[in-house]
Amino acid sequence: MTHFAFREEDLTLEVDYVVVGSGAGGATAANELARGGATVALIEAGPWRDPEDYPSSTYGAMRDVFDDWGVGIARGRALWPIVQASCVGGTTVINCAICVRTPEDVMLQWERDLGVGNKAWRDAIWKHQDKLEVELCAEVVPPEAAGRSSLLAAKGAEAVRYDGHPMTRYVKGCVGSGQCLQGCKQLKKQSLNLQFVPEVMALGGTVLSCAPAERVLLEGRRAVGVSGRFREPVTRRKGGRYTVRARKGVVVAASVTRTAPLLMASGVKHPLLGKGFRAHPGTGVFGVYDHDVDMNVGATQGWASVQYRIEPGMKVETLSIPPEMVASRLAGAGKELVARMGDYRRMAMWVVAVRAEAVGRIKRGLLGEVSVDYSFARPDMERLRKGLALLARTHFAAGAVKVLPGIYGLPYEIGPDQVDLIENGPLDPRSYILISSHLFGGTTMDKDPTRGVCDEYGRVHGYEGLVVADASVIPTTLGVNPQHTIMALARSFADRLLDA
Amino acid sequence: MINWLARSAMVTFYPRSEQFPGIDEMPLDEYLARFKRESAPLMWAGFVLGTLFFHLTPLFTVFIPLPAFALSAATRERHAQRLSSHRIYYVRQPVFLLKMIAGLLWGADPAVRSRLGLAPYPADPGTWRRS
Repeated sequence: MTHFAFREEDLTLEVDYVVVGSGAGGATAANELARGGATVALIEAGPWRDPEDYPSSTYGAMRDVFDDWGVGIARGRALWPIVQASCVGGTTVINCAICVRTPEDVMLQWERDLGVGNKAWRDAIWKHQDKLEVELCAEVVPPEAAGRSSLLAAKGAEAVRYDGHPMTRYVKGCVGSGQCLQGCKQLKKQSLNLQFVPEVMALGGTVLSCAPAERVLLEGRRAVGVSGRFREPVTRRKGGRYTVRARKGVVVAASVTRTAPLLMASGVKHPLLGKGFRAHPGTGVFGVYDHDVDMNVGATQGWASVQYRIEPGMKVETLSIPPEMVASRLAGAGKELVARMGDYRRMAMWVVAVRAEAVGRIKRGLLGEVSVDYSFARPDMERLRKGLALLARTHFAAGAVKVLPGIYGLPYEIGPDQVDLIENGPLDPRSYILISSHLFGGTTMDKDPTRGVCDEYGRVHGYEGLVVADASVIPTTLGVNPQHTIMALARSFADRLLDA
Repeated sequence: MINWLARSAMVTFYPRSEQFPGIDEMPLDEYLARFKRESAPLMWAGFVLGTLFFHLTPLFTVFIPLPAFALSAATRERHAQRLSSHRIYYVRQPVFLLKMIAGLLWGADPAVRSRLGLAPYPADPGTWRRS
């Protein structure tokens, strides 16, 4: 078992496969390769934080586990933060571990429009998902851990007459500590720093943490390794250089915002590299009740509805956030703002994630900086308004006395007879505070090398031994949380490598 | 200097109320020093710009040609409210960042959490696996 964290000395290794990125895609691919008998080196830009290292506050989370303090932004008409982690286990450390199978309609669309997959391919993906659900203890949120916010959402959806359900998550025996976003100190969430990564090491693999990859090494059109430089996570001081040679192949799973730029920096040529960026941007609506909700007690996310996933294209779910995040989210300043925070205990926040049509682009600047160009199209804004109005109605149906839309140009709070203000609200993205979550694309799959960067097994067209195994390959939005899909794809891609 | 300006702006956003302590009752100087030391350079730069922006713009909100720190507390608060709800997005955004960074301290304070029925946060260890 070998782990190299930040070090001053240079390091050279040789293994069968190098995997860049230890999140949902990278850790799963590395684990599958190691189980198949290959020697693997898993390279992670961020540090390895065990549960005793996890932060508690939002400040600590931004400092310790968010990718560069969460300053990544999708830029378009509005600036929307991109929330992802940089640590061993990747975003699985800070997400809510929501486990949703890849929808059949999505995979049929891939086959029909892109020539990606067939029945056997789809069946293999779902079979991997069957196994992953067992290995990572996927469980439905138990009522005792759901929290009042999720119970209210279920009540409201029933009254408004749409389907919802307690979420299924990779969480074993959730106790509802409400700390998913900072990392689960209760050891209930099956994040991959606790699951697949240790197994990679137990099977003889090597993990490099605090080790941002700088380039994939190419010999002609064959990937033969990865090089980079250790970086101290607090001071960002640079340490020794590392080179990991790969006898059989390189798997890149550095995240949607990092994978395409890494390939660009490595000299990989493809006209679609960085293109096809998509997302499920989302925002929330607060309902204020006449009794305490205490949304921070219970699962951070416990209830969802996918009834509107296809038409109009959105997902609604509960999301509890701590006071320090609510403070900046509420409108106002000074005494007015502080007085509004007095409602915190009576608030429940529910969010809509839009299955957006918009397509953006990931770019790498001259100095290596990454940027994402992305703007909502009008139909996406209409979906957003519909989703927010649905949530407002659901809040009122669940007994909320007022709703805080959080939309610029609308009143701070509205009553039950004012939901149409949201429905007819502004179409300018700058009127909303959104975050970009569930990112896709940048090296999308397509059977045709002129229309996609990778094939259906993540292999980069025109290159040997170079595979992408994260959400970068996903060519469309899913309309559901992507972790389950990413892991199943990664496992499928790794199996194909082993078979070869 | 920038810390002094930042403190003045942050106190405007989170003053003391009957229910909650004000941010000026919290270890604000220590927080600012820590934030400067630990935050991403881009985050710090945005915070500094937001702070300067806050202090240089009262002429456009409360129509007084003075920096915000020279205003009375009530006028400064009116300035903060108008900035944070300004019709121009690129006016609201720097102020949003300033308010968020101040909120990270204010909302995590044990006294604030206590009044919201929440236990104090344990310390953020800031540690990681070294070998």
